[in-house]
Amino acid sequence: MKTKLATITRNKKGQPASTEQTVASESLHIGRGADCKLHLADPRIALFHAEIICGVDGVSYIESRSGVVSVDGSFETAAKLKAGQKIHIGPFELIVLPPQKDVDLALSVELIDPLKDDVEEAKSHVTAGLKTTWLSKRTFSWIAGSVVLLIFLAWPVISALERGHGKAPAPKGLAADASWDVGPLSSAHASFGSNCSACHQLPFVHVTNGACEDCHKSIGWHFALETKEAKAVHTSVFGDSRCSECHRDHKGANGLVRTDSRLCTDCHKDLKTRHANTGVVDVAEFTRDHPPFKVSMLLPGKTGPAAIVRIQQDDKARYVEASGLKFPHDVHMSAKGLRGPNGTAKMECKNCHVKEESGIRFKPVTMGEHCQTCHSLEFEPKATTRQVPHGKVADVLATLQEYYAQAALTDAPIDVVLEDGIKRPGQRVAETRREAALSWANTKAEKISQELFEVRVCFACHQITRGEAGAEPAMRWQIAPIAITQHWLPKSRFPHSRHDTYKCTSCHDVEKSKKSADIAIPDIKNCRECHGGNVTVKDKAPGTCETCHGFHTGSPKAGVPPILPGSNQPKLLPKAAAASGDVYHTEKYALTTTNSAGGAPK
Amino acid sequence: MRHRTILEYRGYRYLKLSAFIVLAVIFAYGWYAYPLGHYGGTALGYTLGTIGALLIFWLMWLGVQKRRYRTTGDIKGWLSAHIYLGTSLIIIATLHAGFQVGWNVHTLAYVLMMVVIASGFYGLYAYLRFPTLMTENLAEDTLDSLTLKIADIDREARRLALGMADDINRAVLASVQETRIGGGVYAQLRARVPGCPTTAAVRLIKERSSTVKGDAARKHQELYGMMLRKERLVGRARTDVRFKAIMDIWLYFHVPLSVALIAALVAHIVAVFFYW
Repeated sequence: MKTKLATITRNKKGQPASTEQTVASESLHIGRGADCKLHLADPRIALFHAEIICGVDGVSYIESRSGVVSVDGSFETAAKLKAGQKIHIGPFELIVLPPQKDVDLALSVELIDPLKDDVEEAKSHVTAGLKTTWLSKRTFSWIAGSVVLLIFLAWPVISALERGHGKAPAPKGLAADASWDVGPLSSAHASFGSNCSACHQLPFVHVTNGACEDCHKSIGWHFALETKEAKAVHTSVFGDSRCSECHRDHKGANGLVRTDSRLCTDCHKDLKTRHANTGVVDVAEFTRDHPPFKVSMLLPGKTGPAAIVRIQQDDKARYVEASGLKFPHDVHMSAKGLRGPNGTAKMECKNCHVKEESGIRFKPVTMGEHCQTCHSLEFEPKATTRQVPHGKVADVLATLQEYYAQAALTDAPIDVVLEDGIKRPGQRVAETRREAALSWANTKAEKISQELFEVRVCFACHQITRGEAGAEPAMRWQIAPIAITQHWLPKSRFPHSRHDTYKCTSCHDVEKSKKSADIAIPDIKNCRECHGGNVTVKDKAPGTCETCHGFHTGSPKAGVPPILPGSNQPKLLPKAAAASGDVYHTEKYALTTTNSAGGAPK
Repeated sequence: MRHRTILEYRGYRYLKLSAFIVLAVIFAYGWYAYPLGHYGGTALGYTLGTIGALLIFWLMWLGVQKRRYRTTGDIKGWLSAHIYLGTSLIIIATLHAGFQVGWNVHTLAYVLMMVVIASGFYGLYAYLRFPTLMTENLAEDTLDSLTLKIADIDREARRLALGMADDINRAVLASVQETRIGGGVYAQLRARVPGCPTTAAVRLIKERSSTVKGDAARKHQELYGMMLRKERLVGRARTDVRFKAIMDIWLYFHVPLSVALIAALVAHIVAVFFYW
């Protein structure tokens, strides 16, 4: 068969140019193989792609061989060729031209889908650089920044502003501002939970003292502010300090209260620089330069501030108790025991010194509870049930007179026989007889009272001077005023119950004390045997300032007495109470005095 | 002259500056004995917090600056300072917090800062290590020149394959049209591509070489050599893309986490003073 092939190429503008050739062969082989008459040099064409055969009837057919042939858009394995048909073989388009002279078939051949330029092709397969991917620093940054700002800034701020401040109830569930919490609250404040605004009342404003004082109404100043000078010093030293400067919360269960010694020593190591006229001795370290303890002792017969005297323990001349009582500890603590109403018994400290329920200090020793069992106030051996009252001299005298007068009269017959010998029932005793009986009773009472006040019973414990004969009954004997100091070291705290494992006498040296003038308060050396100082000492218990002292020990801000042990100041008797000799207990830990003139403790 | 890295910039100027800051901060931390212990709310804590926050903002400013920089002028100096002062933040922020951590925005800011610094360290490592490896890999070439060489081989191979069996021709065509260099994030980070058409073509041609003789065998051998060369070129191009991706990928953490850090830092500061 003879085939006319018109190869069409196009210039840059797309205008076609045709190159014609006529090939003669038995059939027209189409393929990229070199032996194919229609040689299509393109890798997308098979070696022997297809074949066109001229039939006996002069009609041409196309048949696919190793490649795919599409005729007018449909894939065919064999198709009859007609003029105008478009045959697609790989990237080539063959159009069947109208029948022409001298040839069996005329075809136009055009490469309609040329391969890309190799460089272009190769470059199109290179995707380098992460910028070409979906990754985007900008998008990621927007997302990350927005998420953090929304969750950790916008949400808490909006929630806090919406809820308002002050005593708003704690939010339920997960609080928006939980992420702001810098640490666990102290155990005392744990109940506030997530109610931040209980303390943080205003945004961007420090926790105010008012927020603390909403609850802590009775907190004391650092020292008493009774005088103008004290107030001036307080203002100059503490100014407008905030509670939270020392009390930092969110530091765990025990973190709220400062226990470090610098709280104190920052000022107290050199107090004169803060207050030139201070009477307080400088202290920097417990084991090194803490001065000897100063006791606060009551003076008998005084009232007002003069009743309390502060004596340093090394001031031997003044370090003498003047209680107005006689009390030899050695006799009472004798190993042999003491004779009592129930036979001989060895006394123990706790027989008289009974610990308060708090376990911190001791209840007052009283005549009625602790002395009278042995030191009975009996005055007449024949009448063991009768005792004189433990009270005023006049009452004692009256009791004695009453008793003996009654005795004188009851000893005489009830029905009096008069001088005429006639017995008259119910007749009043004759004047002479009554006078005789009263005279006897008075003499007896006088004798016994002298014995009580000057020889035994009262005299056993009290210091007594005889008044003028014939004086008023109350002035017949004068009993020295009593001053029993109940709280010797009111500026410190000493929980006795924490030292229970030690014997009383290992600190209180009383076993050999013969006089009530001996003061048995342990000295600082005694404490230092076990307690280290501000700096941790090996094998010793802590001994920071705060171990013994408090800070808020001055007069309370709101007039409510502080209740913390050791945080109180000695309290004086009101003048009226002191004068009347009444026992005055202000409250549990206040200095209880029995500072009386002529009176006696209960 | 030996190449000086950014770490050695101007006789370790910023190393010295940062070392001075860190030592001063450590000394202050040891010297400042706040009774309640160290934390952000002490005078020292506020000071260190302010220094740390200013440094963070300044280092972030460098990022903005770098994008704007027109002259290459002192960009090395900025970067050197960025690295050393950024590293000093580890000490400054840790001492600012007084070693206290919790489940809160404050520690979030701290952790974000540490992660940003860690990613920065990785960036520094990449910056110091990969350029050498890239040079070794590329030698005289660039990715573009490799591509051109590949294109040359493609052209020749395609021409040569036209006269060969259809499957070899197809394999070569596939190698030309379907061999990808780089691509998605994963493809860029991973130089090996399983089922690479070029590798497949090399294998096929090698197999066929033993079954043909004479002139065909010579042509097969020639094509095999070409495709083998292409395979190596492709490998080098992919390695180059991988190095570039590794050198870039850390920034996709470093930058967004820095922004998150700034957000957390702002939240941290507002939170502290909101509930002062």
